[in-house]
Amino acid sequence: MSTPSTIERTDRATLADMVVVDADVHVNDTPGALAPYCEEPWRLSLEALDGASYPYLQVPGFAPNMRLDPPIPGQHANRSVSTAAEMRAELSELQIDVGILFPDHMLLFAAIPNPEYATALAQAYNRWLLEEWLTREPGLYGVVLACPQNPDFAAREIERYANEERVVGVYLPTAGVNPLWGDRRYDPIMAAAEAANLPVCLHSVTLVSPAFPCQLDQFENHFARQVLSHAFAMMANLTSIVHTGVPARFPELRIVFTEAGIAWVPYMMWRMDKYYNEYRRLVPFLEKRPSDYITERMWFATQPIEEPDDLKDLVVTIDLLGGPERILFASDWPHHDFDHPRAIMKLPMPAAAKRRIMGENALELFGIPAPAGKL
Amino acid sequence: MTDHVVGPVEDFPPGTHRLVQLGRIEVGIFNVAGVFHALPNICPHQFGPLCAGTVNGTTACSAETNWTFAWVRQGEIVTCPWHGIEFDIATGQSLSSPRLRVRTYPVRVVDGQVTVTI
Repeated sequence: MSTPSTIERTDRATLADMVVVDADVHVNDTPGALAPYCEEPWRLSLEALDGASYPYLQVPGFAPNMRLDPPIPGQHANRSVSTAAEMRAELSELQIDVGILFPDHMLLFAAIPNPEYATALAQAYNRWLLEEWLTREPGLYGVVLACPQNPDFAAREIERYANEERVVGVYLPTAGVNPLWGDRRYDPIMAAAEAANLPVCLHSVTLVSPAFPCQLDQFENHFARQVLSHAFAMMANLTSIVHTGVPARFPELRIVFTEAGIAWVPYMMWRMDKYYNEYRRLVPFLEKRPSDYITERMWFATQPIEEPDDLKDLVVTIDLLGGPERILFASDWPHHDFDHPRAIMKLPMPAAAKRRIMGENALELFGIPAPAGKL
Repeated sequence: MTDHVVGPVEDFPPGTHRLVQLGRIEVGIFNVAGVFHALPNICPHQFGPLCAGTVNGTTACSAETNWTFAWVRQGEIVTCPWHGIEFDIATGQSLSSPRLRVRTYPVRVVDGQVTVTI
């Protein structure tokens, strides 16, 4: 595995001066790791999968996905993090104080068709996350997986974990979720998250699936599928959440969008506002413009941050979607397209704005106490 | 400009590359089919350890290949382990963006010793 060995000294001082909260890092949730936490008979299924040499993020019956491209020499290696101690060490090397943990394979959770199995898997993942990751090292926080295949169970899971100090949000599996988040069948999940004062965090992944908008099979290579997958997932789910009035029906609910960058947001704000003008009578539960809900109660994680030739364009983009208060730094460590904190630190922005993006926003949003010696 | 002797030429056989520390600078020494090259071990994209990556060839597809995929330049391309960006070892130029380029250091063999000028 490759760890970050080259960090320029010039930014150490600056990053060392502020709290760095990473809103999106990933733990390696293998079948074998989850098996001891899973109820029978599904534990037997995970034990049967354990040890099989399946590719990363593509395990039939666990992380179902179609890997359509042949391997080509010269590509960068896959990275994964298997223990809390490893994660703590690697985040510290990246100068990250606090990490919000998301899964690896369970990124594909919504694509699992069997609701009983999905329920057992969600329960096992949440138990494993708390036991193996959230009690062992400082600065590691988690989001409880909400099983879309069984919303009532998911709501009970949220209630079960709501008072755990290190559980600071609800993970909404977004790749292949069908129907999309926002559908009224998920209302128990939104209600439980709102009642527990836990933000819901949408996270997608590249998935080829018949579920809208993941029908990416016509694209002949991963370049195209990667470009479209996360962005389309977030645009579709944001629209779905707005079109059923989730922000109006759950007026305290806070919503986080991860791993799609940020430049898609102003476009969707303007587009939804335009058609809200025209079709307000179809969505009368919305008491204000869609963009108003976005700038009040939605947050956007930076990774994979756009990299325009002129970095000022990115600063303008942040202002267009409501300013630095809306933005959460995220690295996506250890995944292939992770962003080093420098990718944000090098933006031509005032230090106060960087402090908000790099950590202060996330501490407030997730209710995390500032790490000792910081702030 | 200072010459740094980094080791006997036998320690750098063709088709291999190694990291060496020269003062405060970490440098990747590459032997590409008997020709030496040296690059700084910092990717200009997000400052990843470029020279810790693998050396390989790459794909090409153009009018020259009749628009079919070809495997070309075996041994001439280093891939940054962080984000997979490809660089031409001889020139330091990335294959994907005119803005992503690293400098190259002169390397020569003096009395059987690989010598880098920084």
